[in-house]
Amino acid sequence: MLKVFGTPYRCCDGIRRRTFLQIGAPLLGLGLTDLFRARAEASPQSRKTGGKSLIVFWTHGGMSQQDTYDMKPDAPAEYRGMYMPISTTAPGINVCERFPEHAKVMDRLSLVRSVHHENGIHAPSAHWMQTGYFGPTLARNAAKHPSFGSVIARTCPSRTPQLPTYVTVPKSEAFGYQGAVYLGKAYNPFEVGADPNAKDFKVPNLAPPEGLKLDSVANRKKLLKTFDTLRRDIDSSGVLEGLDTFKSQALEMVSGEEVRKAFDIGSEPAELRERYGRHQYGQSALLARRLVEAGSRCVTINTGYWDHHDNIEPGLEEHLPPLDRAIGTLVQDLDERGMLDDVLIYCAGEFGRTPLINGHAGRDHWSNCFTVLLGGGGLKGGHVVGASEKHGGGVLNRQVIPLDVLATIYRAMGIPLDTHFQDASGRPVSIAGTGKPIRELL
Amino acid sequence: MLSMQFNRRRFSRYLLPVLLVVVLAHCAHGDEPQQFVPDFRHDVIPVLTKRGCNSGGCHGKSTGQNGFKLSLLGFHGDKDHAAMVQEGRSRRVVTGAPGLSLLLRKATGEVPHGGGRRFATDSEDYRVLRQWIAAGAPGPRSDGPELARLEITPGRDVLTPNSQRQLSVVAHLSDGTTRDVTRRAVYETNNPEIADVDEAGLVRTQSAGGLFAVMVRFGEQIGVFEGTVPFRRTEGAATSQPKADLSEIDRLLWQQWERLGIEPSLPAGDAEFIRRATIDICGTLPTPQEVTEFLADERPDKRARLIDRLLERPEYATHFALKWAAILKNRGRGYSTSKQRAGTALFSAWIRDSIAENKPYDRFVAEILTATGSQQKNPPTIWYRSVRTPQDYVESIAQAFLGVRIQCAECHHHPAERWSQADYYGLAAVFARIGRKRGFADAEVPTNEIIYVKHKGEVRHPRSDEVMQPRALGGPVFANSAFDDPRRGLATWMTATDNPFFARTMANRLWGHFMGRGIIHPIDDARSTNPPSNPALLDMLAQDFINSGYDVKHLIRTITGSRAYRLSSTPLPGNQQDHQNFARYYPRRLTAEVLLDGISQVLEVPTEFSGGPGKFPAGTRAMDLPDENVPLNFLDVFGRPARTSSCECERSDEPALAQALEIVNSAEIQRKLTAETGYIAKLANSDGVHVDHVREMFLKTFARSPRDEELKIAVEFLESESDRAEAYRSLMWSLLATGEFMFNH
Repeated sequence: MLKVFGTPYRCCDGIRRRTFLQIGAPLLGLGLTDLFRARAEASPQSRKTGGKSLIVFWTHGGMSQQDTYDMKPDAPAEYRGMYMPISTTAPGINVCERFPEHAKVMDRLSLVRSVHHENGIHAPSAHWMQTGYFGPTLARNAAKHPSFGSVIARTCPSRTPQLPTYVTVPKSEAFGYQGAVYLGKAYNPFEVGADPNAKDFKVPNLAPPEGLKLDSVANRKKLLKTFDTLRRDIDSSGVLEGLDTFKSQALEMVSGEEVRKAFDIGSEPAELRERYGRHQYGQSALLARRLVEAGSRCVTINTGYWDHHDNIEPGLEEHLPPLDRAIGTLVQDLDERGMLDDVLIYCAGEFGRTPLINGHAGRDHWSNCFTVLLGGGGLKGGHVVGASEKHGGGVLNRQVIPLDVLATIYRAMGIPLDTHFQDASGRPVSIAGTGKPIRELL
Repeated sequence: MLSMQFNRRRFSRYLLPVLLVVVLAHCAHGDEPQQFVPDFRHDVIPVLTKRGCNSGGCHGKSTGQNGFKLSLLGFHGDKDHAAMVQEGRSRRVVTGAPGLSLLLRKATGEVPHGGGRRFATDSEDYRVLRQWIAAGAPGPRSDGPELARLEITPGRDVLTPNSQRQLSVVAHLSDGTTRDVTRRAVYETNNPEIADVDEAGLVRTQSAGGLFAVMVRFGEQIGVFEGTVPFRRTEGAATSQPKADLSEIDRLLWQQWERLGIEPSLPAGDAEFIRRATIDICGTLPTPQEVTEFLADERPDKRARLIDRLLERPEYATHFALKWAAILKNRGRGYSTSKQRAGTALFSAWIRDSIAENKPYDRFVAEILTATGSQQKNPPTIWYRSVRTPQDYVESIAQAFLGVRIQCAECHHHPAERWSQADYYGLAAVFARIGRKRGFADAEVPTNEIIYVKHKGEVRHPRSDEVMQPRALGGPVFANSAFDDPRRGLATWMTATDNPFFARTMANRLWGHFMGRGIIHPIDDARSTNPPSNPALLDMLAQDFINSGYDVKHLIRTITGSRAYRLSSTPLPGNQQDHQNFARYYPRRLTAEVLLDGISQVLEVPTEFSGGPGKFPAGTRAMDLPDENVPLNFLDVFGRPARTSSCECERSDEPALAQALEIVNSAEIQRKLTAETGYIAKLANSDGVHVDHVREMFLKTFARSPRDEELKIAVEFLESESDRAEAYRSLMWSLLATGEFMFNH
């Protein structure tokens, strides 16, 4: 059912990608067994070649660009907002005064200040930004296209086979547009399901349920091996063997060390945990770093609700400092570990907010021109792409559409832009569509 | 620089037409050798198609590529001509100096081209384009002959493994002339594991046996080559098995097996059969008592009797209603379930009752298609709640009832079928007069609408803007007046005994349900380029279904009564490699609902469902749920469909890590294992002996007794553990997590 078109290429772990994806098609009678074999064969090499990963800060609800990354200090007060800009390590790039940690690393990060799409409602906009395509028209309509995280999961397997490739922290956003849709359920995100800042942070899905002891898990594992004797060759579709592999993986995740270790944020030095900030933003970013270090490909942090229609100030006071700590520290930490060129950082939401402050001292939805942040992963830092008009509002120059942003991410990760997947009706859909990578950043 | 650009633009705008005339005149006696003038539609576009220029990934996509846009696969030649000759500042085609045409320079890689080099300057393709440009780049001729059909030689063939066969393709034009287009046509195999085809139409079989088809496309026409590669005969192939009193199904399968050199597996045992049939028909597991009784039954027709019994059980209707509720998009997701649940529950019950009373399938479908009124009075009007745009109508009707995927024809001619946009919008026009009254719009779509037929309403062809007549796919125009609801015409056409799609689609759907794969596969993708694996068998099943008066239970009895359905799933060397010919039972994972209900049944602890107004009554099974808007991660990860598509493929059996995690450490299974009223508690608290308990556990989960070795290991384990309840839990879990439990085989 799933078939992919496009140039054969090497991605992430050195398997020829097209071959890899084609043999995943049960239609051909080959099935997932071969997929796992292919993955297993390629894995020794992959550890060496590394490959890239992506960490996303998803500002669900829509962050105000005017108060953060695209300040208008000279605009009239009703546009300007309450913050002043500060200068950064990138000459000419100023950011909000609540972003002192950003300011230290702006030479490593870039801003795209002219992102534009044509919807002003949360859900369809979230779909647009998550998938690159306009899709549903109302909240809770089913997703029509796969999220970029799922595209990455589908095209770049995790470097550690037991580890989930695509993770959402603490869980996927509420609209349900961070999933795989027609790419297949195997590429849905793994939801952490708990706040990494919680005192006794544990991943519910990795912890045995209440009352189940690890001894019993070991027993079950042993017994399963004894009784699971159905001949494997009766099923040529690959479903049976695929499930076997996942069962071993799941048992390993629950009772084994490797995955548990990747999620064990408590083993980080207290000092580093402090640097990231003892809040959901900071600890999520730290967890994300641990996961990509262990081999995950895309970690999306869904934290905070930025829909500040009323009284934007207290809302931003609550969210800006922790977001700043998380991003700023992450960049420094990755840099110190020599990982910054392998890990992309992306901060965006479904849209920005109106340049004009409304009658309730808030800002409303604004998709005509807003800012996203991109950096690391080999992308150029210290650049500003595009510009908004004098008071915000429209794009002054260099309009960038959501697919352009995704194409940039895919290109940086080594995923060919002509990769197509078949939707449920068999139509080939391009992952990048009309999107063009932002050349200024490559 | 700027002024030069201006100049050039002005040059092209004002001077070029003049120049063109001069050049054209000049060309007639120009330097280029006087050869045939390539025809735009029959020579030029095929080159672009063959070289992928107008494919969906390149200039053929709806936005074009780097400013140059062609129609997908050249289906709209007039537009392509303008794009090539007039747009692009006339640099794409330079008639005065063909070699300078960007079209050629890009395609040969002389200047940088995003799509790379498509052909060389010494190629036939280059010559065709160059000659056409040199001849003044004439556009499509309105008086020219149309492409009538393709003739593929051979049309079908039996090939040996690792052999070759050159296809020959002749295009027949409407003026009676023919031309060989073997090198111009585009080829695509549907089964590269069995045979490959190169761009010159050379078919190469691989080492595997089986059936394959090669689609041949030229212009708007398609043709197909059907290849058969017999398996290497092994000892004891089909012929050695008894052939007496075979049913018609078995006779037709047998012929195929002999032709292909396939050996059928041995018959399945009774225990295997009762589990298989109970799951396939009722979506439940047989109880230990049912198994024991069935094994003890010595009547020769006990399997047929079992089928009859199963078809009379309420679970049969519930299980198949679940299937149809997804195909009919009985969808509950939205802001407020309270308003929607009433409708989904009514429709779900209507489907279930229709199946329980064995309503003839033609009536079942007609009642949905022609429904009017309120949901209270006429529940099938709920179908119109999820199906409400021209796209929904066409795609749902085509895929659910006609087994055809026509989506492509919404925007362009279908690349692998004969369907055009006229077919698509003609079918859409059948529903142009659907009216909706009232309705409560708190959800993604309004609920509780009243469906009626308006006096007016039309659908226009998106390109020609012509008002479309309501029309069947490849069939007649339906009456459409104040007194005629064209939907009635559609229903009558569809359910007529000579309809080429309707009965076949249902026969194929149910065959796929019971045999694990459609005769046409996927089951709703009928097209000449995706031929049935056994056409005679599909014809026979469809005809028998029609003759029975669309009796669904009869169709199920016919399929499940065959020997083929009663074969073991264990492969033999003589059928191990075959995946298309039903020489054994193809195992499949239990569907999400059946799996969850099966676990509940074994552990004797029902699932507690939440969601929507109030709670579901205690003991509600997953398959009883009226719609999909009952949140339960287990069901979602195991592939419960979202009911947004009429395609059965929306229900996925793809393995995923999340599934394994649900089995390994879900709180729900742990709850069921530890419930005080559950089966495990019963075992743990009873003073019965382990041996009896283990026997019963095996009967419950696998519908068979444990083998001696299994019994020994299980009992030893139970004896070795100090915590009796936990030991039973671990043992039980390990049985539920096996492939043997999770699959129907």
